[in-house]
Amino acid sequence: MKVLAAGVVPLLLVLHWKHGAGSPLPITPVNATCATRHPCHSNLMNQIKNQLTQLNSSAKALFILYYTAQGEPFPNNLDKLCSPNVTDFPPFHANGTERARLVELYRIIAYLGASLGNITRDQKVLNPSAHSLHSKLNATADVMRGLLSNVLCRLCSKYHVAHVDVAYGPDTSGKDVFQKKKLGCQLLGKYKQVIAVVAQAF
Amino acid sequence: MMDISLCLKRPSRMGDSKRMRMTSNFQWLLLTVLLLYLMNQVNSQKKRTPRDLKCITNNLQVWDCSWRAPSGAGHGAAYEVCFENGSHSCYRLEKNIKLPALLPGDHEITINPLHDFGNFISKFTLNEKNVSLIPDAPEILDLSADFSTSTLHLKWNDKGSVFPHHSNVIWEIKVLRKKNMEIVKLVTHNTTLNGRDTVHHWSWISDMPLECATHYVGIRCYIDDPQFSGRKEWSDWSPLKNISWSPDSQTKVFPQDRVLLVGSDITVCCVTQEKVLSAQIGSTYCPLIHLDGKNVAIKIRNISASESSGTNVVFSVEDNMFGTVIFAGYPPDIPQKLNCETYDLKEIICTWNPGRPTFLVGPRNTSYTLFESFSGKYVRFKRVELPTNESYQLFFQMLPNQEIYNFTLNARNPLGQSESTLLVNITEKVHPHIPTSVKVKDISSTAVTLSWHLPGSFAKIKLLCQIEINKTNSIHELRNVTMRGIENSSYLAALDKLNPYTIYTFRIRCCTDPFWKWSKWSNEKQYLTTEAIPSKGPDTWREWSSDGKNLIIYWKPLPINEANGKILSYNVSCSSDEETQSLSEIPDPQHKAEIQLDKNDYIISVVAKNSVGSSPPSKIASMEIPNDDLKIEQAVRMGNGILLTWNYDPNVTCDYVIKWCNSSRSEPCLMDWKKVPSNSTETIIESDQFRPGVRYNFFVYGCRNQGYQLLRSIIGYVEELAPVVAPNFTVEDTSADSILVKWEEIPVEELRGFLRGYLFYFEKGERDTSKMRVLESGRSDIKVKNITDISQKTLRIADLQGKTSYHLVLRAYTDGGMGPEKSMFVVTKENSVGLIIAILIPVAVAVIVGVVTSILCYRKREWEVIRLWKSLQGWKDRAVLVELACLGRGRSLPRSSGRRSCCSRPDVPKELDPWFQAPPSLQPYIQREEGALPPGCQGGLWLAWPVSRVHRWSSRVAQQKFYSRATSTSTT
Repeated sequence: MKVLAAGVVPLLLVLHWKHGAGSPLPITPVNATCATRHPCHSNLMNQIKNQLTQLNSSAKALFILYYTAQGEPFPNNLDKLCSPNVTDFPPFHANGTERARLVELYRIIAYLGASLGNITRDQKVLNPSAHSLHSKLNATADVMRGLLSNVLCRLCSKYHVAHVDVAYGPDTSGKDVFQKKKLGCQLLGKYKQVIAVVAQAF
Repeated sequence: MMDISLCLKRPSRMGDSKRMRMTSNFQWLLLTVLLLYLMNQVNSQKKRTPRDLKCITNNLQVWDCSWRAPSGAGHGAAYEVCFENGSHSCYRLEKNIKLPALLPGDHEITINPLHDFGNFISKFTLNEKNVSLIPDAPEILDLSADFSTSTLHLKWNDKGSVFPHHSNVIWEIKVLRKKNMEIVKLVTHNTTLNGRDTVHHWSWISDMPLECATHYVGIRCYIDDPQFSGRKEWSDWSPLKNISWSPDSQTKVFPQDRVLLVGSDITVCCVTQEKVLSAQIGSTYCPLIHLDGKNVAIKIRNISASESSGTNVVFSVEDNMFGTVIFAGYPPDIPQKLNCETYDLKEIICTWNPGRPTFLVGPRNTSYTLFESFSGKYVRFKRVELPTNESYQLFFQMLPNQEIYNFTLNARNPLGQSESTLLVNITEKVHPHIPTSVKVKDISSTAVTLSWHLPGSFAKIKLLCQIEINKTNSIHELRNVTMRGIENSSYLAALDKLNPYTIYTFRIRCCTDPFWKWSKWSNEKQYLTTEAIPSKGPDTWREWSSDGKNLIIYWKPLPINEANGKILSYNVSCSSDEETQSLSEIPDPQHKAEIQLDKNDYIISVVAKNSVGSSPPSKIASMEIPNDDLKIEQAVRMGNGILLTWNYDPNVTCDYVIKWCNSSRSEPCLMDWKKVPSNSTETIIESDQFRPGVRYNFFVYGCRNQGYQLLRSIIGYVEELAPVVAPNFTVEDTSADSILVKWEEIPVEELRGFLRGYLFYFEKGERDTSKMRVLESGRSDIKVKNITDISQKTLRIADLQGKTSYHLVLRAYTDGGMGPEKSMFVVTKENSVGLIIAILIPVAVAVIVGVVTSILCYRKREWEVIRLWKSLQGWKDRAVLVELACLGRGRSLPRSSGRRSCCSRPDVPKELDPWFQAPPSLQPYIQREEGALPPGCQGGLWLAWPVSRVHRWSSRVAQQKFYSRATSTSTT
C-alpha cells in the first residue's frame, strides 16, 4: 500500500492527464479493448527514441548530482554504495522484437517512474535546499511520464496491447535515512546503466 | 601466663646454651600441652551448648536469630528458647527463632538444648546493636529497552510496607554489557520507604546502542534506618535481567537517524554476520571496537554539525557498505525579536527571528508553537521543507473583547526547546493596512473631500491619518486628520485652503492612537481643482513705437496661482480725459497689443479673463517724464543676477520698473521687465534668457503720479567673455625707425564684455618663421605695449631699425579674457647715407691695401731678377736665359741665320705674359744682350717674378731643352 501511496498513485494520476494516456492500465486487463483517448502521434517511435536519448544524456548528470548531495563517503565509494545491483529491476532484451522491447521498456519506465517518485520525495525532505537535484529529478520524471504514455500508445495502436503487468521497486518511506540514500543511489546507478542500453536498442 | 613464662626463662640464663635450649623447649612444650588441654576442656564444654547466637533482620520487625547447635546434636534437635521482653516467654523450637523486634536494651536469651547430654544451657545477652539489618535482595519487576533512544527502563518494588517506619534506601544498580559482563554502569539511587509498597523506576541511556550488545542489569539495596542501631548491610544482588536485540540476517548499523548535539560523543555499532573491514564517518576512518561475535563499534567524539542530509557513518565489508546517518545540530535558539502586531484588529501576526541555525532540516527542523496564556489558544508553525529566505511568522485570530495577549512562542526540535514571551496590548500595536480606494470630490474651487477605505475593525480606537498634498513645483504639504475608527468602512476628510485650478496629488497613510506604525502610503490620487476668477490683473508695461505714433502694451501671462483657471482672453483699454480706446477679447497666447495714440496722457488698463470671470484691471500710465541728467553705467552680474541699485526717491509713489533688452536689438527693444515696490532701492535681475557675453541694456524707471521717468540706464553682462575677434589694424606710416599703426573698434556683439584695453606686441621677424607663434612666451626680444586707454586707436612704434622686417600683433581684452590676435609684418624703410658709408669704407681700404702690396711686390721682383741676372756666369748662361725666354714664348731659336731669332710673340701664354713685360729697371741688362738676340725678342725678357717659379721652371725646362738641343748640335 505504501508503494501505491508514495509513487504509483501520483504516477497514475499524472499519466491520466497526459496526452495519449487515457487508459494506460485498464482494470480488466486481458480482454480489454485497446483504445486511446487521443490518436497517437504519427511519428511515435521517433518521439520514443528522442525521449530515450534525452533520458540517456541526462542520466549521468542526475547520478552525479544525486550522490554528491548525499555527502561523503558516497562519491568515493560508488562501487559499494551505488552499485547497480537492483535485484527486482525489470529485464530488458535488446535483441527482442519491437513489441517485446516496448513491453519491457514500459515495465522499466514504470518501475523507474515510481522509484524516482520515492527518491524525489525523500530528497525534498533530506536535502531541501538542493534545488538543482530536485529540478533534475522532476525533469527526468516528466520525460518518463511522456515516454510511458508514448510507449503505451505505440503498444496499443500497433500491437493492440492494452495491459502490461508492471512491478515496482521497494518503497523507501519506512526505511532509515541511510537506506533511502543508498537505495536511491543504486537505483539511479542502475537507471544510468539501463537507459544507455535501452536507448541504444531503439 | 606471663609470670610462668618469666619463671621458666630465668634458669636458662645459668646453664650452658644447649642444655638451656633443651630445657626451654621442653618447658614450652609442656606449657602448650597444658594450655591445649584447658582449651579443649573449655571447648568441649562449649560444644555441648548452643553457641554463636546471631540475629539478623530484613524488615526491622522480626529478628531472625540462629545459633550453632551443640556437638552431637542431631538434625532436628529441639531447644527451648526463653527471653525476656516485658514478659518471660519460652518457645520450643528446632533451629532458629524469629523474634519480634525487641525493645532497645539488653535482653537475656537462654537456649536450652532438649537432649541427653546434660544441662548445658546457653545464655546470651541480645541487644539491637548485635542485630544486622540485611534487606532482602530486590526483585526486578521489569527491565525494558527503548532501542530508538538506547534507553533502559528498570522497574522494581521497594516492598516498603514491611518496614515499620520511614527509612532511607540506597539502591545500587549495575549495568553489564556483552557476554563477558563488563560493568559499564554502577549507580546508586536514593529513595525513601514510606510504609507502602512502591514501584520505582530508573532509566539509563546507554552510550552504545542497545542493539549492539546484550545488556544486563542487577540491583541491591541498603536501608539506612536512623532508628535502627544495629549493623546495616547491603542486600544481595537481585538476579540479573538482560536486554538483547534479536538480529535478523541482515547487517544493520545502529543507532539509526540519531539526532545529536554538536560536540557530543556517540558510539555507532554494526550488527553483522560478516567481517567488518573498516568504518568511517564521512571520509574519516575510525578504529574498530570489537563486540560479541562479529559485531563492531566505533566511538565518535566531538561530532561537528551535519550537512542537511546528515553525517554518514559507514561500515565496510568485503563487497558492501552498511551505514547510518547522524544529524548533529543545535537545539533551537531563543526566538529573537518576537513582535506581535495587527493590521486590522482581527488577526495578530507575530514575527520573529529564529536566531542561530540548528543545522537540522526536514522532519528535524524546529517547530514553533505560539501559545496565548489568557485564552489558552495556540497556533503551530512547522515546515518540513524550509526555504531559506522564508520569514518566520504566525497568525493568531484575535478574540472578542480581549485586548491584552500574553504570547509564548515555543521553539522545539529533537535536541531541545526554547521559548520567548511577549505581553502585548494589541490595541497599541496596530499597523494599519494600506488605505485603498482613494477618491476626491469637489466642494469648491479651494476645497475638496477625500475619501478612502481602510480595512480593519477600528470601532474602538482613534485613527490618525496623514494626507500628503503635492502641488506641481511646490513643497509637499502634510495635513493630519484625527477620526474615530469605524468597522471596515470608508473614511472621509475635507481639505480646504487649496488653490483653484491646480493639479493636486493626494495620498494617505494612517496610524492609530497611540502611535505604533504608519501604514504604507496609499496610491497617489491626482485631482484638478475647479477654476476661480483671476485674482490679479496681469503685469503690464508699455513702450512707444520707434516712430512714436503707437503705444505698444505688453503684459505678462498670469501665473497659475493668480490666473485661477485657463486664461481665455484679455481686454485692453486706453483712457484719457478725452477718449477711451479698447481692444477686446485678445486671445490668450497674445500678450501685447498696439494702439495708435496721440501724445496725450493715457491710462492703460488690462484685464485677464477665464471661464469664471475677469481679473481686476491692472493699470499703467502712458506718459514718460524726461530726465536730462542720465548717464550710462556699467554692471556685471554678481552672484545670481545683475544687481541694480538706485537712490531712494520720495517722488516715486507707485513702483519701480526695470526693463531690459539685448543691446544689439533695434528699438523698441523689450525683453522683459520687473516691477519692484516703491520703497526698494535695489533689485537683482535674473532671467533664463540672459546669455554670457551678450550686452544687455537695463533701464530703471520710477513711477510717479503722472507717469514713468527713466532714472538710470545701465549696460551690463551676466558674464563677460573674451572678445571673439581681434581688432582690425593697419600700418599708417613707416619710416626707417618707426611704424604708425591704426586700428578699428570691435563691434559690441564680438567684444562680449567691457573692453579693458589692447595688447600690442612687436618684434623683428619675417613671415613664415617659427617666431610668429611664440609672441607671448615672454621672450626678451618681444616688446609689449599695454594700451589701457580704450579710446586710443593709433600707436607709433619708434626706435626701430631701418629696412628690417617687424612682426606686429594686436589683440583686445576684456575682463572675460584675451581676444584672438591679429598680426602683420612690416619692413622699415632703408637708411641711404649709412648705406653709402657702409660701401665706400671697405672699398677704400681694399684699394689702399692693394696699392701698397703691389708696390712692395714690384720692388721685390726687380730685386730678384737683377740678382738672378748677376748670378748667371758668362754668355752661355745668359744665352740660356735668353733662350729660356724664347722658349717661354713657345718658339725655338732660329739656327739657319747663325743667330738666334725668336720672340715673335704671337702666342705667348697669358699666364706667362707678365714675364715678358720686362720692367724698365731690367731694360739696361736686356738691352745689352739684345744685339745677340734675334729680332722679335727685344723687350721681351722677364723672368724674376716670382723667383721661385722662375727657378723651378727655368731649371727644368732649360735642362730638357738645353740637353736635347746640345745633343742635336753635337750631332750636327
